[in-house]
Amino acid sequence: MLQLQNIQKRFGGVAALRGANLSVNAGEVHLLMGENGAGKSTLMKIVAGMLPRDSGEFLWRGGSVHFRNPGEAAAQGIAMVHQESLLAPHLTVAENIFLGREPGPGFGLVHRGRMRERAAHIIEEHRFPLQADWRVDKLSPAGRQMVEICRAIQQGSSLLIFDEPTSSLSPVESEEVFRIVRSLRARNMGVIYITHRMDEMRAVGDRITILRDGEAVHSGPLSDISTDDLIHHMVGRELSAVYTRTPIPPGEELLAVEHLAREPVLHDISFSVRAGEIVGLAGLIGAGRSELCRALFGIDPVDRGTIRAGGQLLRVRSPRDAIRVGMVLIPEDRQRTGLATDLPVRHNLTISALNVVSRFGFLNHAADRAAAAELTARLRIRSESPEQKAGRLSGGNQQKVAIAKWLLARSRIFLFDEPARGIDVAAKLEVFQTIEELARGGAAILMVSSEIGELIQMADRILVMRHGQIAAELPGNTSPETIMRYAAVKSSMAAAGERAG
Amino acid sequence: MIQRLLPFFTLIALFVILSVASPSFLTGTNLSSVVRQTAVINIMALGMTVVIIAGGIDLSVGSILALAGLLGAMAMVQGSIVLGVIIGLAIGAACGLANGVMTTALRINPFIVTLGTMGIYRGLALIVSKGLPVHEIPPAFSYLAEGNLLGVPFVLWVLLVCAFAVHMILEHTRLGRYAFSIGSNPAAALYSGVPVAFHTSAVYALAGLLTGLAGMIEASRLMTGQPTSGQGYELTAIAAVVIGGGSLRGGEGSVLGTLVGAFIMGLLANGSDLLGTNPYWQQVIIGAVIILAVAFDELRKRRK
Repeated sequence: MLQLQNIQKRFGGVAALRGANLSVNAGEVHLLMGENGAGKSTLMKIVAGMLPRDSGEFLWRGGSVHFRNPGEAAAQGIAMVHQESLLAPHLTVAENIFLGREPGPGFGLVHRGRMRERAAHIIEEHRFPLQADWRVDKLSPAGRQMVEICRAIQQGSSLLIFDEPTSSLSPVESEEVFRIVRSLRARNMGVIYITHRMDEMRAVGDRITILRDGEAVHSGPLSDISTDDLIHHMVGRELSAVYTRTPIPPGEELLAVEHLAREPVLHDISFSVRAGEIVGLAGLIGAGRSELCRALFGIDPVDRGTIRAGGQLLRVRSPRDAIRVGMVLIPEDRQRTGLATDLPVRHNLTISALNVVSRFGFLNHAADRAAAAELTARLRIRSESPEQKAGRLSGGNQQKVAIAKWLLARSRIFLFDEPARGIDVAAKLEVFQTIEELARGGAAILMVSSEIGELIQMADRILVMRHGQIAAELPGNTSPETIMRYAAVKSSMAAAGERAG
Repeated sequence: MIQRLLPFFTLIALFVILSVASPSFLTGTNLSSVVRQTAVINIMALGMTVVIIAGGIDLSVGSILALAGLLGAMAMVQGSIVLGVIIGLAIGAACGLANGVMTTALRINPFIVTLGTMGIYRGLALIVSKGLPVHEIPPAFSYLAEGNLLGVPFVLWVLLVCAFAVHMILEHTRLGRYAFSIGSNPAAALYSGVPVAFHTSAVYALAGLLTGLAGMIEASRLMTGQPTSGQGYELTAIAAVVIGGGSLRGGEGSVLGTLVGAFIMGLLANGSDLLGTNPYWQQVIIGAVIILAVAFDELRKRRK
């Protein structure tokens, strides 16, 4: 149904696409893979009418098309499910599904009853766990995606584009998305599915196209390609999919948390992390992992419990209290809390330790530049110049900046919240390497991740959180199934499991 | 780059056009009067630049100008010129600090806080003066606004010193770096350990201090302490910052840009006086310039 041939697109001097091919059939899930910056998003924006192409052939149902805006693409049956949803949060599910095309007698009047009825019909047909009159701002990210999918179905779309739909979902929610994708395929719709996650592509994909540097380097049935070949195509060189690290004997206890509570999200949390140790924090979305990081870092106040850093009792009322003793957070959401994306890389690198490069409140620009240059070299941050805006770096390099800014301040306890989210394979390995180097240098590391595989690769010990509590403490070589059982299973069964184990 | 310099070129073009169109434009007297007329707005706008860079806004500066000018003038009548100037600056800084502390401690949007204090400070000025201007200012005080030093208006030197100081603060101090950081992404600033509340308050206090100084210049220009002076100045000061490339979303702005913005408005006013344009049209022209300036700036950013 969709055929793209030799699509080219330039932004100023940069060629984002230099010959991308893609063909998608009805009734198939077509995976689109590639490193960040390979041109996946640009290509999809062209398909969805959000960007014009410079040259190349775009055939849709046999005819050449030129979409000038997303509305034209939608009218032809092409819709995109966005990661960060473009819904109106204060309206209901039904209102969002019909936004811009409300049923009614005309003159701008809306037939609310009929709208609700038709929305309920779509929801029921696809077995979405939604209600037509729920408000969208009360929904989880997964719920919002489902509203977007309903909206696309309502518009009569025959090709749906998913851009990393599961990146902010828990495993259970992801399963739900896979089920929906399969049901769309069964209804003979075409699906383009962008993902970075090796484990999930096999769960949903039929065929695959791999982009590298704006070109399609491989296309074919998914069953014909091994994971190693796939990575080879993506990065253009041999690279192991698995990060292997050599644990080092842990030193003194750097972080000790006892009976920490913040109602109603954290209850009676006790654990410790030693120097040189990487402790993984597993759990479902909403289990309280990010909340624990935020409480330790002084963003959210705690109700009870003690935090000791290097043996010293700590009262954290703001991030500054934590930073003072060398405990830092690399937050999950780089764009919102990790970086000032509109400011130069250099400013981002030294903002947390300006006292190191200033005296009596006056900045020493030479020292500032030197510090930034040193951090850039140390973490191999790739930027055009230290004056480039941080937001223009690739996801992996942004993450490195978010880590690097804590190195100047001589931090020794690092809380990593989803350090590899949304970054490509090569960058992920570099970030893991950095984390390992920090541990080797004597830092204590707490690492949150929703990808259990990552934790097993990285962690010496794994804490599993469930409903705001630490449900289990497991060795690093625990099987994913065991970790999932503690994370997801109902309390009584987990209690039985704990007794048995 | 060319588009970034657009305000600068506009100022030069305006200068050239007025020089050709009116024989009385390019004269010492006229240029001095342009400087004297724009100095008050210019100095207020410098403070506003820092506030806007830090992601804030201060609607109360017009009222601070009146309150600081009035109390400064009263102190001058009772005591001396020096005491009056000190009081004026201190009142300005205190009013600004109060704005900053309220936005950070109560976590209220600065637009709302300063909308409130705009009324409060103006009201206080009217209460203290019972609505009447203060007249008996020592004659020597007129030197501040009307005097000359080394052949140019004294206020030009004052303006240059202020501009240099604010530029230094923005580019060479922690306060400046933190202001950009807070304005660009307040959450990231907090997560980075920036003392957000302290520096936000400091930024408003700085704007208040500069407005206090502008209040003293205004008092010297009128040779009265007027509780009703400075009405609407806040919007002109904001406009100067915005024309000069400042962004109301925070994180962007510069001293040079603001000076250019203020002088563009000053020349437009002066030019329409000289050319005998209907003064009502002045407002229309300046309004259009504000919209055009921001439209070009948005276009430049989107193109990137």
